[in-house]
Amino acid sequence: MKVEHRIILSNFFNIIVLIIVIFFAIQNLNLVLTKLKFIQIADDLNASFLEIRLTEKNYFLYRNKMNLYDILNKIREIRYSIDNVRDDIIKAVGEDNFKILNKNLNDYTNVIALISEIEETKINNNQTETSIREAGKKLREFSEQITRLERTNTNELIMKSQKILLYSFWIIFLSSIVISHLISKKILLSLKLIQKLTLSISEGNFKTIENVDCDQECNSVIKAINFMSNELKNREEQLIQSKKLASIGVMTAGVAHELTNPLNNISMLAQTYIELYDNLSKDDRINFMSKVEAETDRMKEIVKNFLDFSKPKKPQLEQIDINTVIQKAIKLMQNMLYISNIETQLKLNENLPLTFIDRNQIQQVLVNLITNAVQAMTKNGKLIIVSDLDENKKYIKITITDTGKGIPPELLQHIFDPFFSTKGEGGTGLGLSVSHGIIKSHNGDITVKSEVGKGTTFTIRLPIYTKIEGSKTDE
Amino acid sequence: MSKSQIMVIDDEKIVCDMSKLSLEQSGYEVETFLSAEPALERLKEKKFDIIVTDYKMKGLDGMDVLKTVKKLYPDTKVIMITAFANLETAIEALRSDVHDFFPKPVKIKELKASIERALHA
Repeated sequence: MKVEHRIILSNFFNIIVLIIVIFFAIQNLNLVLTKLKFIQIADDLNASFLEIRLTEKNYFLYRNKMNLYDILNKIREIRYSIDNVRDDIIKAVGEDNFKILNKNLNDYTNVIALISEIEETKINNNQTETSIREAGKKLREFSEQITRLERTNTNELIMKSQKILLYSFWIIFLSSIVISHLISKKILLSLKLIQKLTLSISEGNFKTIENVDCDQECNSVIKAINFMSNELKNREEQLIQSKKLASIGVMTAGVAHELTNPLNNISMLAQTYIELYDNLSKDDRINFMSKVEAETDRMKEIVKNFLDFSKPKKPQLEQIDINTVIQKAIKLMQNMLYISNIETQLKLNENLPLTFIDRNQIQQVLVNLITNAVQAMTKNGKLIIVSDLDENKKYIKITITDTGKGIPPELLQHIFDPFFSTKGEGGTGLGLSVSHGIIKSHNGDITVKSEVGKGTTFTIRLPIYTKIEGSKTDE
Repeated sequence: MSKSQIMVIDDEKIVCDMSKLSLEQSGYEVETFLSAEPALERLKEKKFDIIVTDYKMKGLDGMDVLKTVKKLYPDTKVIMITAFANLETAIEALRSDVHDFFPKPVKIKELKASIERALHA
Protein backbone atom coordinates (compact mmCIF):
# COMPACT_ATOMS: atom_id res chain seq x y z
CA MET A 1 0.00 0.00 0.00
CA LYS A 2 1.24 3.49 -0.81
CA VAL A 3 2.34 5.69 2.10
CA GLU A 4 -0.05 8.35 0.83
CA HIS A 5 -2.97 5.91 1.13
CA ARG A 6 -1.91 4.90 4.60
CA ILE A 7 -1.84 8.54 5.75
CA ILE A 8 -5.27 9.20 4.18
CA LEU A 9 -6.64 6.07 5.89
CA SER A 10 -5.25 7.04 9.28
CA ASN A 11 -6.65 10.57 8.96
CA PHE A 12 -10.00 9.08 7.94
CA PHE A 13 -9.96 6.89 11.06
CA ASN A 14 -9.22 9.88 13.28
CA ILE A 15 -11.97 11.94 11.65
CA ILE A 16 -14.49 9.10 12.24
CA VAL A 17 -13.48 8.93 15.92
CA LEU A 18 -13.81 12.73 16.14
CA ILE A 19 -17.29 12.67 14.55
CA ILE A 20 -18.46 9.99 17.02
CA VAL A 21 -17.09 12.02 19.94
CA ILE A 22 -18.73 15.23 18.72
CA PHE A 23 -22.03 13.37 18.26
CA PHE A 24 -21.94 12.07 21.82
CA ALA A 25 -20.86 15.44 23.16
CA ILE A 26 -23.82 17.18 21.43
CA GLN A 27 -26.18 14.51 22.71
CA ASN A 28 -24.90 15.00 26.24
CA LEU A 29 -25.08 18.76 25.91
CA ASN A 30 -28.73 18.56 24.80
CA LEU A 31 -29.50 16.32 27.75
CA VAL A 32 -27.79 18.72 30.11
CA LEU A 33 -29.74 21.63 28.61
CA THR A 34 -33.04 19.70 29.07
CA LYS A 35 -32.11 18.89 32.65
CA LEU A 36 -31.17 22.51 33.36
CA LYS A 37 -34.48 23.64 31.82
CA PHE A 38 -36.32 21.19 34.06
CA ILE A 39 -34.40 22.34 37.11
CA GLN A 40 -35.55 25.87 36.28
CA ILE A 41 -39.16 24.61 35.99
CA ALA A 42 -38.75 22.54 39.16
CA ASP A 43 -37.43 25.59 41.02
CA ASP A 44 -40.51 27.58 39.86
CA LEU A 45 -42.78 24.70 40.95
CA ASN A 46 -41.05 24.54 44.32
CA ALA A 47 -41.52 28.28 44.76
CA SER A 48 -45.24 27.89 43.86
CA PHE A 49 -45.61 24.94 46.24
CA LEU A 50 -43.94 27.00 48.99
CA GLU A 51 -46.42 29.79 48.31
CA ILE A 52 -49.35 27.29 48.48
CA ARG A 53 -48.03 25.96 51.78
CA LEU A 54 -47.81 29.53 53.15
CA THR A 55 -51.43 30.24 52.06
CA GLU A 56 -52.35 26.87 53.62
CA LYS A 57 -50.81 28.02 56.94
CA ASN A 58 -52.70 31.31 56.75
CA TYR A 59 -55.92 29.35 56.33
CA PHE A 60 -55.21 27.35 59.45
CA LEU A 61 -54.42 30.55 61.38
CA TYR A 62 -57.39 32.69 60.26
CA ARG A 63 -59.82 30.06 58.84
CA ASN A 64 -60.48 32.32 55.91
CA LYS A 65 -61.96 30.36 53.05
CA MET A 66 -60.49 32.87 50.61
CA ASN A 67 -57.15 31.25 51.28
CA LEU A 68 -58.47 27.96 49.97
CA TYR A 69 -59.60 29.67 46.77
CA ASP A 70 -56.18 31.21 46.44
CA ILE A 71 -54.68 27.75 46.78
CA LEU A 72 -56.99 26.31 44.14
CA ASN A 73 -56.16 29.19 41.78
CA LYS A 74 -52.49 28.62 42.40
CA ILE A 75 -52.89 24.90 41.67
CA ARG A 76 -54.67 25.75 38.45
CA GLU A 77 -51.80 28.03 37.46
CA ILE A 78 -49.34 25.27 38.29
CA ARG A 79 -51.28 22.77 36.22
CA TYR A 80 -51.35 25.20 33.38
CA SER A 81 -47.58 25.70 33.47
CA ILE A 82 -46.94 21.94 33.93
CA ASP A 83 -49.06 21.21 30.88
CA ASN A 84 -47.08 23.75 28.90
CA VAL A 85 -43.75 22.05 29.65
CA ARG A 86 -45.14 18.53 29.89
CA ASP A 87 -42.77 17.10 27.33
CA ASP A 88 -39.72 18.68 28.90
CA ILE A 89 -40.69 17.34 32.31
CA ILE A 90 -41.31 13.80 30.96
CA LYS A 91 -38.00 13.94 29.14
CA ALA A 92 -36.22 14.95 32.33
CA VAL A 93 -37.91 12.81 35.00
CA GLY A 94 -39.70 10.14 33.00
CA GLU A 95 -43.37 9.26 32.49
CA ASP A 96 -43.81 7.49 35.87
CA ASN A 97 -42.52 10.37 37.96
CA PHE A 98 -44.69 12.77 35.96
CA LYS A 99 -47.70 10.62 36.74
CA ILE A 100 -46.80 10.57 40.44
CA LEU A 101 -46.50 14.40 40.39
CA ASN A 102 -49.93 14.69 38.75
CA LYS A 103 -51.42 12.24 41.22
CA ASN A 104 -49.99 14.16 44.18
CA LEU A 105 -51.34 17.41 42.73
CA ASN A 106 -54.75 15.78 42.20
CA ASP A 107 -54.78 14.44 45.76
CA TYR A 108 -53.97 17.89 47.13
CA THR A 109 -56.59 19.58 44.91
CA ASN A 110 -59.20 17.05 45.99
CA VAL A 111 -58.48 17.64 49.67
CA ILE A 112 -58.63 21.46 49.26
CA ALA A 113 -61.79 21.22 47.12
CA LEU A 114 -63.46 18.96 49.66
CA ILE A 115 -62.73 21.31 52.54
CA SER A 116 -63.80 24.41 50.68
CA GLU A 117 -67.21 22.84 50.01
CA ILE A 118 -67.90 21.82 53.66
CA GLU A 119 -69.40 24.36 56.08
CA GLU A 120 -67.06 25.87 58.64
CA THR A 121 -68.81 24.42 61.62
CA LYS A 122 -68.79 20.92 60.30
CA ILE A 123 -65.10 20.89 59.73
CA ASN A 124 -63.17 18.71 62.04
CA ASN A 125 -60.22 20.99 62.50
CA ASN A 126 -57.69 18.44 63.46
CA GLN A 127 -58.58 15.91 60.79
CA THR A 128 -58.76 18.57 58.04
CA GLU A 129 -55.49 20.10 59.05
CA THR A 130 -53.75 16.75 59.02
CA SER A 131 -55.05 15.68 55.59
CA ILE A 132 -54.18 19.07 54.00
CA ARG A 133 -50.77 19.18 55.60
CA GLU A 134 -49.99 15.61 54.56
CA ALA A 135 -51.05 16.12 50.92
CA GLY A 136 -49.13 19.46 50.72
CA LYS A 137 -46.09 17.94 52.36
CA LYS A 138 -46.18 14.97 50.00
CA LEU A 139 -46.45 17.29 47.03
CA ARG A 140 -43.58 19.48 48.13
CA GLU A 141 -41.35 16.62 49.22
CA PHE A 142 -41.82 14.84 45.91
CA SER A 143 -41.08 18.03 44.01
CA GLU A 144 -37.95 18.71 46.09
CA GLN A 145 -36.79 15.12 45.81
CA ILE A 146 -37.13 15.20 42.03
CA THR A 147 -35.29 18.53 41.83
CA ARG A 148 -32.47 17.17 44.00
CA LEU A 149 -32.27 14.02 41.90
CA GLU A 150 -32.15 15.98 38.69
CA ARG A 151 -29.36 18.24 40.02
CA THR A 152 -27.33 15.14 40.88
CA ASN A 153 -28.06 13.61 37.46
CA THR A 154 -27.05 16.80 35.69
CA ASN A 155 -23.78 16.94 37.64
CA GLU A 156 -23.09 13.33 36.76
CA LEU A 157 -23.88 14.02 33.13
CA ILE A 158 -21.47 16.95 33.04
CA MET A 159 -18.80 14.81 34.71
CA LYS A 160 -19.47 12.02 32.20
CA SER A 161 -19.13 14.42 29.27
CA GLN A 162 -15.90 15.69 30.72
CA LYS A 163 -14.59 12.11 30.98
CA ILE A 164 -15.74 11.23 27.44
CA LEU A 165 -13.92 14.26 26.05
CA LEU A 166 -10.80 13.39 28.02
CA TYR A 167 -10.86 9.73 26.92
CA SER A 168 -11.53 10.70 23.32
CA PHE A 169 -8.55 13.04 23.42
CA TRP A 170 -6.32 10.18 24.63
CA ILE A 171 -7.77 7.70 22.09
CA ILE A 172 -7.11 10.08 19.20
CA PHE A 173 -3.69 11.02 20.59
CA LEU A 174 -2.60 7.40 21.14
CA SER A 175 -4.08 6.13 17.86
CA SER A 176 -2.21 8.92 16.03
CA ILE A 177 1.03 7.85 17.69
CA VAL A 178 0.44 4.14 16.96
CA ILE A 179 -0.59 4.76 13.34
CA SER A 180 2.32 7.17 12.69
CA HIS A 181 4.67 4.64 14.26
CA LEU A 182 3.29 1.84 12.07
CA ILE A 183 3.55 3.98 8.94
CA SER A 184 6.96 5.42 9.73
CA LYS A 185 8.45 2.12 10.99
CA LYS A 186 8.68 0.59 7.52
CA ILE A 187 9.74 3.87 5.95
CA LEU A 188 12.48 4.35 8.53
CA LEU A 189 13.60 0.75 8.10
CA SER A 190 13.81 1.22 4.35
CA LEU A 191 15.54 4.58 4.78
CA LYS A 192 18.11 2.89 7.01
CA LEU A 193 18.70 0.26 4.29
CA ILE A 194 19.01 3.01 1.69
CA GLN A 195 21.41 4.93 3.93
CA LYS A 196 23.55 1.81 4.38
CA LEU A 197 23.51 1.13 0.65
CA THR A 198 24.47 4.68 -0.33
CA LEU A 199 27.25 4.67 2.26
CA SER A 200 28.61 1.42 0.86
CA ILE A 201 28.33 2.82 -2.70
CA SER A 202 30.24 5.93 -1.65
CA GLU A 203 32.98 3.63 -0.37
CA GLY A 204 33.15 1.88 -3.72
CA ASN A 205 31.08 -1.23 -2.90
CA PHE A 206 28.51 -1.28 -5.66
CA LYS A 207 26.00 -3.59 -3.97
CA THR A 208 22.25 -3.72 -4.52
CA ILE A 209 19.29 -4.37 -2.20
CA GLU A 210 16.97 -7.17 -3.24
CA ASN A 211 13.53 -8.29 -2.01
CA VAL A 212 12.89 -5.57 0.50
CA ASP A 213 9.40 -5.58 2.02
CA CYS A 214 8.59 -1.89 1.93
CA ASP A 215 6.19 0.65 0.49
CA GLN A 216 5.78 1.41 -3.18
CA GLU A 217 7.54 4.81 -2.93
CA CYS A 218 10.44 3.31 -1.02
CA ASN A 219 10.64 0.44 -3.51
CA SER A 220 11.01 2.87 -6.40
CA VAL A 221 13.81 4.70 -4.54
CA ILE A 222 15.60 1.39 -3.89
CA LYS A 223 15.08 0.41 -7.52
CA ALA A 224 16.64 3.70 -8.65
CA ILE A 225 19.59 3.31 -6.28
CA ASN A 226 20.11 -0.31 -7.40
CA PHE A 227 20.12 0.88 -10.99
CA MET A 228 22.63 3.61 -10.12
CA SER A 229 24.82 1.09 -8.25
CA ASN A 230 24.82 -1.29 -11.22
CA GLU A 231 25.64 1.57 -13.58
CA LEU A 232 28.52 2.71 -11.35
CA LYS A 233 29.77 -0.87 -11.19
CA ASN A 234 29.75 -1.09 -14.99
CA ARG A 235 31.47 2.27 -15.31
CA GLU A 236 34.10 1.24 -12.80
CA GLU A 237 34.74 -1.97 -14.71
CA GLN A 238 35.15 0.11 -17.88
CA LEU A 239 37.47 2.46 -16.01
CA ILE A 240 39.54 -0.45 -14.71
CA GLN A 241 39.77 -1.82 -18.23
CA SER A 242 40.78 1.54 -19.71
CA LYS A 243 43.43 1.93 -17.02
CA LYS A 244 44.59 -1.57 -17.82
CA LEU A 245 45.01 -0.60 -21.47
CA ALA A 246 47.09 2.38 -20.31
CA SER A 247 49.26 0.01 -18.21
CA ILE A 248 49.67 -2.21 -21.25
CA GLY A 249 51.24 0.70 -23.11
CA VAL A 250 53.82 1.05 -20.37
CA MET A 251 54.38 -2.71 -20.22
CA THR A 252 54.87 -3.13 -23.96
CA ALA A 253 58.51 -2.04 -23.86
CA GLY A 254 59.23 -4.65 -21.23
CA VAL A 255 57.33 -7.36 -23.11
CA ALA A 256 59.17 -6.55 -26.34
CA HIS A 257 62.49 -6.95 -24.58
CA GLU A 258 61.33 -10.11 -22.92
CA LEU A 259 60.31 -11.59 -26.29
CA THR A 260 63.54 -10.55 -28.01
CA ASN A 261 65.66 -12.84 -25.84
CA PRO A 262 63.93 -16.16 -26.66
CA LEU A 263 63.60 -14.97 -30.27
CA ASN A 264 67.37 -14.38 -30.39
CA ASN A 265 67.95 -17.77 -28.76
CA ILE A 266 65.86 -19.55 -31.42
CA SER A 267 67.63 -17.61 -34.13
CA MET A 268 71.08 -18.50 -32.79
CA LEU A 269 70.09 -22.16 -32.32
CA ALA A 270 68.91 -22.30 -35.94
CA GLN A 271 72.00 -20.57 -37.32
CA THR A 272 74.38 -22.82 -35.36
CA TYR A 273 72.32 -25.91 -36.26
CA ILE A 274 72.69 -25.13 -39.97
CA GLU A 275 76.36 -24.30 -39.58
CA LEU A 276 77.23 -27.45 -37.63
CA TYR A 277 74.63 -29.74 -39.24
CA ASP A 278 77.12 -32.25 -40.68
CA ASN A 279 79.06 -32.51 -37.43
CA LEU A 280 75.99 -33.01 -35.21
CA SER A 281 75.02 -36.42 -33.95
CA LYS A 282 71.36 -37.47 -33.80
CA ASP A 283 71.28 -36.69 -30.06
CA ASP A 284 72.82 -33.24 -30.69
CA ARG A 285 70.14 -32.48 -33.28
CA ILE A 286 67.37 -33.58 -30.91
CA ASN A 287 68.95 -31.47 -28.18
CA PHE A 288 68.98 -28.40 -30.47
CA MET A 289 65.35 -28.84 -31.44
CA SER A 290 64.30 -29.42 -27.82
CA LYS A 291 65.90 -26.11 -26.95
CA VAL A 292 63.99 -24.41 -29.78
CA GLU A 293 60.80 -25.98 -28.43
CA ALA A 294 61.58 -24.78 -24.90
CA GLU A 295 62.22 -21.24 -26.15
CA THR A 296 58.93 -21.15 -28.05
CA ASP A 297 57.21 -22.27 -24.83
CA ARG A 298 58.92 -19.41 -23.07
CA MET A 299 57.57 -16.99 -25.67
CA LYS A 300 54.12 -18.52 -25.43
CA GLU A 301 54.17 -17.98 -21.65
CA ILE A 302 55.18 -14.32 -22.03
CA VAL A 303 52.42 -13.69 -24.57
CA LYS A 304 49.90 -15.59 -22.43
CA ASN A 305 50.72 -13.54 -19.33
CA PHE A 306 50.42 -10.35 -21.31
CA LEU A 307 47.10 -11.38 -22.88
CA ASP A 308 45.78 -12.61 -19.54
CA PHE A 309 46.44 -9.21 -18.09
CA SER A 310 44.97 -7.25 -21.00
CA LYS A 311 41.79 -9.30 -21.44
CA PRO A 312 38.69 -7.80 -19.83
CA LYS A 313 37.54 -10.07 -17.02
CA LYS A 314 34.41 -10.29 -14.99
CA PRO A 315 34.95 -9.57 -11.30
CA GLN A 316 35.35 -12.91 -9.55
CA LEU A 317 36.25 -13.65 -5.96
CA GLU A 318 38.47 -16.63 -5.20
CA GLN A 319 40.25 -17.81 -2.10
CA ILE A 320 43.95 -17.39 -2.81
CA ASP A 321 47.35 -16.67 -1.36
CA ILE A 322 48.04 -12.98 -1.92
CA ASN A 323 51.75 -13.70 -2.41
CA THR A 324 51.01 -15.50 -5.69
CA VAL A 325 49.32 -12.33 -6.96
CA ILE A 326 52.31 -10.22 -5.93
CA GLN A 327 54.69 -12.63 -7.68
CA LYS A 328 52.57 -12.61 -10.84
CA ALA A 329 52.51 -8.80 -10.88
CA ILE A 330 56.28 -8.71 -10.42
CA LYS A 331 56.69 -11.20 -13.26
CA LEU A 332 54.61 -9.00 -15.54
CA MET A 333 56.70 -5.97 -14.61
CA GLN A 334 60.03 -7.80 -14.41
CA ASN A 335 61.41 -6.53 -17.65
CA MET A 336 60.30 -3.00 -17.06
CA LEU A 337 62.12 -3.12 -13.72
CA TYR A 338 65.07 -4.75 -15.41
CA ILE A 339 65.27 -2.16 -18.18
CA SER A 340 65.01 0.66 -15.65
CA ASN A 341 67.81 -0.95 -13.61
CA ILE A 342 65.67 -1.15 -10.55
CA GLU A 343 66.56 -3.54 -7.78
CA THR A 344 63.51 -5.37 -6.46
CA GLN A 345 63.31 -6.74 -2.94
CA LEU A 346 60.43 -9.03 -2.02
CA LYS A 347 59.79 -9.71 1.66
CA LEU A 348 56.77 -11.97 1.60
CA ASN A 349 55.38 -13.59 4.74
CA GLU A 350 54.88 -17.19 3.65
CA ASN A 351 52.41 -17.97 6.45
CA LEU A 352 49.69 -15.56 5.36
CA PRO A 353 46.15 -16.98 5.50
CA LEU A 354 44.21 -17.41 2.26
CA THR A 355 41.56 -14.80 1.61
CA PHE A 356 38.79 -14.12 -0.89
CA ILE A 357 39.90 -11.49 -3.40
CA ASP A 358 39.52 -10.74 -7.08
CA ARG A 359 42.91 -11.90 -8.34
CA ASN A 360 42.87 -9.83 -11.53
CA GLN A 361 41.76 -6.63 -9.85
CA ILE A 362 44.37 -6.86 -7.07
CA GLN A 363 47.02 -7.69 -9.68
CA GLN A 364 45.93 -4.58 -11.58
CA VAL A 365 46.37 -2.48 -8.41
CA LEU A 366 49.88 -3.90 -7.87
CA VAL A 367 50.83 -3.29 -11.54
CA ASN A 368 49.57 0.32 -11.23
CA LEU A 369 51.57 0.91 -8.05
CA ILE A 370 54.74 -0.75 -9.42
CA THR A 371 54.44 1.27 -12.67
CA ASN A 372 54.13 4.48 -10.61
CA ALA A 373 57.12 3.45 -8.52
CA VAL A 374 59.26 2.72 -11.60
CA GLN A 375 58.27 6.00 -13.20
CA ALA A 376 59.10 7.90 -10.01
CA MET A 377 62.62 6.42 -9.83
CA THR A 378 65.72 7.16 -11.85
CA LYS A 379 68.15 4.35 -12.66
CA ASN A 380 69.43 2.21 -9.81
CA GLY A 381 66.36 2.78 -7.68
CA LYS A 382 65.08 0.24 -5.22
CA LEU A 383 61.59 -1.24 -5.03
CA ILE A 384 60.63 -3.04 -1.82
CA ILE A 385 57.43 -5.06 -1.62
CA VAL A 386 56.43 -6.50 1.74
CA SER A 387 53.45 -8.69 2.56
CA ASP A 388 52.50 -9.35 6.16
CA LEU A 389 49.66 -9.57 8.66
CA ASP A 390 48.37 -6.34 10.12
CA GLU A 391 49.02 -5.70 13.85
CA ASN A 392 45.48 -6.78 14.78
CA LYS A 393 45.71 -9.86 12.48
CA LYS A 394 42.40 -8.97 10.78
CA TYR A 395 44.00 -7.65 7.61
CA ILE A 396 46.75 -8.59 5.17
CA LYS A 397 49.08 -5.65 4.67
CA ILE A 398 51.08 -5.06 1.48
CA THR A 399 53.55 -2.17 1.34
CA ILE A 400 55.19 -0.98 -1.87
CA THR A 401 58.12 1.32 -1.24
CA ASP A 402 60.22 3.12 -3.83
CA THR A 403 63.28 5.31 -3.54
CA GLY A 404 61.90 7.76 -6.08
CA LYS A 405 61.50 11.52 -6.07
CA GLY A 406 58.55 11.49 -3.64
CA ILE A 407 55.31 13.44 -3.73
CA PRO A 408 55.02 16.97 -2.24
CA PRO A 409 52.65 17.09 0.78
CA GLU A 410 50.26 19.54 -0.94
CA LEU A 411 49.66 17.00 -3.76
CA LEU A 412 49.52 13.95 -1.51
CA GLN A 413 45.91 14.54 -0.43
CA HIS A 414 44.72 14.58 -4.07
CA ILE A 415 46.53 11.57 -5.47
CA PHE A 416 43.53 9.23 -5.22
CA ASP A 417 41.26 11.76 -6.97
CA PRO A 418 40.23 10.76 -10.51
CA PHE A 419 42.15 12.54 -13.30
CA PHE A 420 44.76 13.87 -10.87
CA SER A 421 48.25 13.13 -12.14
CA THR A 422 51.73 14.17 -11.05
CA LYS A 423 53.16 12.93 -14.35
CA GLY A 424 51.89 15.82 -16.47
CA GLU A 425 50.69 14.65 -19.86
CA GLY A 426 52.26 11.24 -19.35
CA GLY A 427 49.62 10.06 -16.91
CA THR A 428 45.88 9.49 -17.21
CA GLY A 429 45.29 10.34 -13.57
CA LEU A 430 43.20 7.21 -13.27
CA GLY A 431 45.66 4.62 -11.95
CA LEU A 432 45.47 5.48 -8.27
CA SER A 433 41.80 6.38 -8.41
CA VAL A 434 40.99 3.00 -9.96
CA SER A 435 43.29 1.24 -7.46
CA HIS A 436 41.56 3.07 -4.62
CA GLY A 437 38.15 1.95 -5.98
CA ILE A 438 39.27 -1.68 -6.26
CA ILE A 439 40.68 -1.80 -2.73
CA LYS A 440 37.57 -0.11 -1.32
CA SER A 441 35.35 -2.65 -3.08
CA HIS A 442 37.33 -5.34 -1.22
CA ASN A 443 36.46 -3.50 2.03
CA GLY A 444 40.12 -2.66 2.43
CA ASP A 445 42.02 0.60 2.42
CA ILE A 446 44.99 2.13 0.67
CA THR A 447 47.17 4.84 2.18
CA VAL A 448 50.28 6.70 1.12
CA LYS A 449 53.30 8.20 2.86
CA SER A 450 55.87 10.17 0.95
CA GLU A 451 58.94 12.32 1.48
CA VAL A 452 60.23 14.49 -1.31
CA GLY A 453 63.66 13.26 -2.44
CA LYS A 454 63.47 10.05 -0.43
CA GLY A 455 60.58 8.03 -1.81
CA THR A 456 57.01 6.91 -1.41
CA THR A 457 55.32 4.03 0.39
CA PHE A 458 51.84 2.80 -0.51
CA THR A 459 50.14 0.56 2.06
CA ILE A 460 47.25 -1.69 1.09
CA ARG A 461 45.20 -3.43 3.77
CA LEU A 462 42.83 -6.22 2.71
CA PRO A 463 40.45 -7.88 5.19
CA ILE A 464 40.89 -11.62 5.69
CA TYR A 465 37.73 -13.35 4.48
CA THR A 466 37.11 -17.06 4.81
CA LYS A 467 33.76 -16.93 3.00
CA ILE A 468 32.53 -15.10 -0.09
CA GLU A 469 30.63 -11.98 0.98
CA GLY A 470 31.28 -13.34 4.42
CA SER A 471 32.43 -11.82 7.62
CA LYS A 472 35.96 -11.59 8.79
CA THR A 473 37.44 -14.72 10.38
CA ASP A 474 37.21 -13.52 13.93
CA GLU A 475 33.83 -11.87 13.75
CA MET B 1 99.78 -19.18 -34.99
CA SER B 2 97.89 -19.13 -31.70
CA LYS B 3 94.12 -18.92 -31.71
CA SER B 4 92.38 -15.58 -31.02
CA GLN B 5 90.91 -15.39 -27.52
CA ILE B 6 87.24 -14.44 -27.31
CA MET B 7 85.14 -13.87 -24.19
CA VAL B 8 81.33 -13.99 -24.43
CA ILE B 9 79.19 -12.54 -21.58
CA ASP B 10 75.40 -12.95 -21.74
CA ASP B 11 72.81 -13.91 -19.12
CA GLU B 12 71.09 -16.13 -21.71
CA LYS B 13 72.76 -19.56 -21.60
CA ILE B 14 71.82 -20.40 -25.22
CA VAL B 15 73.58 -17.24 -26.47
CA CYS B 16 76.74 -18.32 -24.62
CA ASP B 17 76.53 -21.95 -25.81
CA MET B 18 75.73 -21.20 -29.47
CA SER B 19 78.38 -18.45 -29.69
CA LYS B 20 80.95 -20.86 -28.24
CA LEU B 21 80.04 -23.67 -30.66
CA SER B 22 79.98 -21.46 -33.74
CA LEU B 23 83.05 -19.39 -32.91
CA GLU B 24 85.10 -22.45 -31.96
CA GLN B 25 84.05 -23.97 -35.29
CA SER B 26 85.59 -20.89 -36.92
CA GLY B 27 88.83 -21.48 -35.07
CA TYR B 28 88.59 -19.14 -32.09
CA GLU B 29 89.19 -20.01 -28.46
CA VAL B 30 86.04 -19.05 -26.53
CA GLU B 31 85.22 -18.61 -22.83
CA THR B 32 81.64 -17.80 -21.80
CA PHE B 33 80.17 -16.16 -18.67
CA LEU B 34 76.52 -15.74 -17.61
CA SER B 35 77.20 -12.47 -15.74
CA ALA B 36 79.73 -9.65 -15.71
CA GLU B 37 81.25 -10.18 -12.25
CA PRO B 38 83.03 -13.57 -12.83
CA ALA B 39 84.01 -12.41 -16.33
CA LEU B 40 85.80 -9.33 -14.92
CA GLU B 41 87.54 -11.56 -12.36
CA ARG B 42 88.77 -13.79 -15.23
CA LEU B 43 89.99 -10.70 -17.11
CA LYS B 44 92.36 -9.93 -14.26
CA GLU B 45 94.06 -13.29 -14.97
CA LYS B 46 93.89 -13.48 -18.75
CA LYS B 47 93.88 -11.04 -21.66
CA PHE B 48 91.27 -11.60 -24.39
CA ASP B 49 91.39 -10.19 -27.93
CA ILE B 50 87.67 -9.69 -28.30
CA ILE B 51 84.90 -9.39 -25.73
CA VAL B 52 81.31 -9.93 -26.83
CA THR B 53 78.97 -8.74 -24.07
CA ASP B 54 75.27 -8.26 -23.54
CA TYR B 55 74.31 -4.66 -22.83
CA LYS B 56 71.61 -5.31 -20.19
CA MET B 57 72.40 -7.76 -17.43
CA LYS B 58 71.56 -8.21 -13.80
CA GLY B 59 74.20 -6.61 -11.61
CA LEU B 60 77.01 -5.05 -13.63
CA ASP B 61 75.99 -4.38 -17.26
CA GLY B 62 77.77 -4.16 -20.64
CA MET B 63 78.90 -0.56 -20.06
CA ASP B 64 80.56 -1.57 -16.75
CA VAL B 65 82.39 -4.37 -18.61
CA LEU B 66 83.52 -1.89 -21.28
CA LYS B 67 84.92 0.55 -18.70
CA THR B 68 86.92 -2.18 -16.87
CA VAL B 69 88.23 -3.73 -20.09
CA LYS B 70 89.40 -0.39 -21.45
CA LYS B 71 91.16 0.31 -18.15
CA LEU B 72 92.90 -3.10 -18.09
CA TYR B 73 93.54 -3.68 -21.82
CA PRO B 74 93.02 -0.56 -23.96
CA ASP B 75 93.57 -2.51 -27.20
CA THR B 76 90.97 -5.24 -26.48
CA LYS B 77 87.88 -4.71 -28.66
CA VAL B 78 84.40 -4.86 -27.14
CA ILE B 79 81.35 -5.86 -29.19
CA MET B 80 77.98 -5.12 -27.57
CA ILE B 81 74.75 -7.03 -28.19
CA THR B 82 71.41 -6.06 -26.76
CA ALA B 83 67.79 -7.09 -26.71
CA PHE B 84 66.73 -3.59 -25.79
CA ALA B 85 67.79 -1.75 -28.89
CA ASN B 86 66.89 1.85 -29.34
CA LEU B 87 68.67 4.86 -30.76
CA GLU B 88 69.66 6.12 -27.34
CA THR B 89 71.49 2.91 -26.36
CA ALA B 90 73.16 2.63 -29.74
CA ILE B 91 74.49 6.20 -29.53
CA GLU B 92 75.62 5.73 -25.92
CA ALA B 93 77.41 2.47 -26.81
CA LEU B 94 79.13 3.76 -29.94
CA ARG B 95 80.25 6.98 -28.21
CA SER B 96 81.93 5.03 -25.47
CA ASP B 97 84.51 3.21 -27.52
CA VAL B 98 82.49 0.12 -28.39
CA HIS B 99 83.84 -1.55 -31.51
CA ASP B 100 80.48 -2.73 -32.77
CA PHE B 101 76.86 -2.87 -31.66
CA PHE B 102 74.34 -5.65 -32.49
CA PRO B 103 70.65 -5.69 -31.72
CA LYS B 104 69.11 -9.09 -30.98
CA PRO B 105 68.33 -11.35 -32.82
CA VAL B 106 71.97 -11.54 -33.76
CA LYS B 107 73.14 -12.88 -37.13
CA ILE B 108 76.15 -15.07 -36.26
CA LYS B 109 77.75 -14.49 -39.67
CA GLU B 110 77.64 -10.73 -39.12
CA LEU B 111 79.03 -11.18 -35.62
CA LYS B 112 81.89 -13.28 -36.99
CA ALA B 113 82.57 -10.68 -39.69
CA SER B 114 82.67 -7.98 -37.04
CA ILE B 115 85.09 -10.08 -34.94
CA GLU B 116 87.32 -10.58 -37.98
CA ARG B 117 87.31 -6.85 -38.66
CA ALA B 118 88.15 -6.12 -35.03
CA LEU B 119 91.05 -8.60 -35.03
CA HIS B 120 92.57 -7.05 -38.11
CA ALA B 121 91.92 -3.47 -37.23
